Amino acid sequence: MKRTRLALFSFLLSITANAVLANEENSAVENCHLDGIRSQVQCGSLNVPENYNKPEGKNISINYAVLPAIDSSKNNAPLMFLAGGPGQAAVELAAHIRRSFAEIRKTRDIILIDQRGTGLSQPMLCDEATKGNLYSMIPEEFSEQETLDCITKLKETNELSQYNSENAIRDFDAVREALGYKQVNLYGGSYGTRAALVYMRLFPEAIKSVVLDSVGPIEVPIGLFGLSSERSFNLLLEHCANEESCNKAYPNLKEEFETVVNRLSNQVISLSVNHPRLGTKISFKLSKGKFISTLFKQLYSTQTRTIVPLIIHQAFLENYQPLLGLIATGEDAMSMYVGLTFNIVCNEDMPRVTDDMRVKDSKNSFDGGSSHAIFKTACDVWPKYQVDDAFYKPVVANIPTLILSGDLDPVTPPSNGEKSASTLPNSHHIISKNSAHIVASSACGVAMINDFLQHLDPKKVDQTCLLDIPAESFMTSLNGSI
Amino acid sequence: MIQFKALLIKEFKEAFRDKRALMVAMTMAMLAPVMILVLSKTMIKEMVATPPIYLNVTGESFAPKLIKQLKQNNIYPLSDVPEDIKNLWTERNIELIIPENFAEYMEEGRVITINLRADFSEKALNAPIRRIKNQINQYAQSIGAKRLIVRGIDPRILRPIQINDQDTAQPSSNAMFISLMLGLYVLMAAFMSGLSVAIDSSAGERERNVLEMLLCQPVSTFKIVAAKLCCASTISIIGVTLTLVLTSFSVSFVDLTKIGATFNLDLLMVLFLILLLLPISFFASALQLFVSFQAKSFKEAQSTVSMIIMLPAMIPVALMFIDDKPQWLDWLPVSGQSLLMDDLFKGIPINWAAFTGTALVTVGLTAALVIILSLRLKSEKVVLALS
Repeated sequence: MKRTRLALFSFLLSITANAVLANEENSAVENCHLDGIRSQVQCGSLNVPENYNKPEGKNISINYAVLPAIDSSKNNAPLMFLAGGPGQAAVELAAHIRRSFAEIRKTRDIILIDQRGTGLSQPMLCDEATKGNLYSMIPEEFSEQETLDCITKLKETNELSQYNSENAIRDFDAVREALGYKQVNLYGGSYGTRAALVYMRLFPEAIKSVVLDSVGPIEVPIGLFGLSSERSFNLLLEHCANEESCNKAYPNLKEEFETVVNRLSNQVISLSVNHPRLGTKISFKLSKGKFISTLFKQLYSTQTRTIVPLIIHQAFLENYQPLLGLIATGEDAMSMYVGLTFNIVCNEDMPRVTDDMRVKDSKNSFDGGSSHAIFKTACDVWPKYQVDDAFYKPVVANIPTLILSGDLDPVTPPSNGEKSASTLPNSHHIISKNSAHIVASSACGVAMINDFLQHLDPKKVDQTCLLDIPAESFMTSLNGSI
Repeated sequence: MIQFKALLIKEFKEAFRDKRALMVAMTMAMLAPVMILVLSKTMIKEMVATPPIYLNVTGESFAPKLIKQLKQNNIYPLSDVPEDIKNLWTERNIELIIPENFAEYMEEGRVITINLRADFSEKALNAPIRRIKNQINQYAQSIGAKRLIVRGIDPRILRPIQINDQDTAQPSSNAMFISLMLGLYVLMAAFMSGLSVAIDSSAGERERNVLEMLLCQPVSTFKIVAAKLCCASTISIIGVTLTLVLTSFSVSFVDLTKIGATFNLDLLMVLFLILLLLPISFFASALQLFVSFQAKSFKEAQSTVSMIIMLPAMIPVALMFIDDKPQWLDWLPVSGQSLLMDDLFKGIPINWAAFTGTALVTVGLTAALVIILSLRLKSEKVVLALS
């Protein structure tokens, strides 16, 4: 799951009344300012062993932040947010989470922890080389060498095999304990749901309730997005055809998409353009892989989906400026610690992907399997660690669990949510028709989570607001639409 | 000591005899929590509520997506207004006039002019108008950003500088407006609760000729004054305590989290506030006794003492307007306590030096008033209200 938005939301929530107030004696916790948040929040760090089997060995520092509840007198169990990716740093998302989870933060502390390998917890960054040439780089040229350089660099500081999902959860639980909370509620979004499931298996007694938003079950490997993105893309085409203005503006959208893909399959287009931010002349290279992966990223959210028909149509007319602008907006998007992404996906997911599965996933009309290439290239050379077979067993835990899926989701389709719902006895699966990846990015999603946290009965969650989420609509001309 | 005790008992008996007068004095304590409750509820409603707004839209069909966005944010065309509030919104008549060329200008990237017509001086329309404008501006900005993107330009270049606010206030700060009101009310309570007792035991007793009798007894005037002071200030402290207790109770009915605020008045804070206001209660009563003894009649005493009540109300308000507060304000009675209360509500650690300082100054002034008063009571001028 490469895309950052994927990982936007992962929280652990716990509502118990027996939650202890944040431990005042923990001198590591202090008031601090985080980017984009006006008021002070609490920050801290906790030393944990890099290898839990060798507690006397090297220690690493785990960075965390607590967004204090507005009304702390209620003593509700806090919500722990488990970030996505893998490779997103929860603390870096603080401002975003604080804003969108405002309703929950009224009476609950929100705990954000940088997963080991991200943020300020032994970060595993890889992409310095690629940052500069966003415009001239194409996925087809992604080489083993880049990965090898990264591995060499990371190995100097990190014992890679220890940066796995289970150890991350051990860290999270250690932070929970250090903060003095008896139980927490978990919110996991995207890969965060995987983390939450592992947490449920390792420390069920520390969890009051769980929200799984856009689920990546342990038994479904991360990295095969061909079929799910095709499904998401087809829904977009269908919705455009059903909207009068969109259908009028782009009556042949599917054919136009195919034409562009064919054109780019034959040759990589190289253009001289103005840098979207600097205004200087640069060379912009466009390949099939780049075209599809750029569109793929837009499928994640209903806001960015609005622009997809226009991008395709303009590309069909050989105007690639819209695509260029779109790539520019992705430049500063919340950063991914790609080293951790590869470390986890290459060890915990890719070994489970069979050739059969790959072939099946490639048979789709959207990316034709081209999305597999990067993980395949990187994972071929990535250092391995041993994952126990038991890790892949579906998680069975009798903890109140709310499962959310967005029907338009290109990476974690509702069928994933179904899988987890079937193994978790005290769970309920809600599908939001007009949401894409991460249901909690809408006010309704947060309202449902908040409702759930109040009574902890997943079946009683009030879903009426789902009807208020508007159906997606599209931009029909270069100057907007009416 | 026995004499003093007897005097004190006499004063309390007098004070508690007129139960109705006492109840009235205590209503001040009731008033604060009720006022705070009502005011905060109204304020919160105004600050957070986004009640539906109904607009008289002309040319609705020219901009369907704009109308859709407005509807998403609780702003509807007048045609959707429910019957019961129809008159209100028809009368308010906020008009939004969308031009016929909306689609054409949008397509061509020209500036579309939309007219928003309303009585801008009408206060009730301020919030609706602000919301309408915000929504339309947001809609326009998101289109603007997309226009740049599809031309291959990063829209962020339009925003060279972004200011990131970093508030150093304690995260646990209490809701400002409640702190302000409560600070004012407890000071008022300190001054007002003991008021009737103070006037009655001075000017009142003189008019009933009780004072003369009292002064004939073989007790020092100092003891008489001290007994009166203790009685009046006890009532005043009861008033303060009641205000605080009732307020902490009433605030729990207000959902301040709606506006991202909180208000916590725990036992420790209540105790601290009582301790802080103890000297003020004595000071207020001493001042009131002093002034009413000076007055020639009960009536005059009433009106002059009422003026003194302005003191607690004026000083904290005046302090709000002084940005650079001189150090000596920390030490004066009323202003010192007021500033300390501010700090307490903001969660700033208490400045114990200022606390002791202002307490000592207040007690000192009280003592001075008592001594002067007991000296003056030896003169028949005061006793008989001669000038």
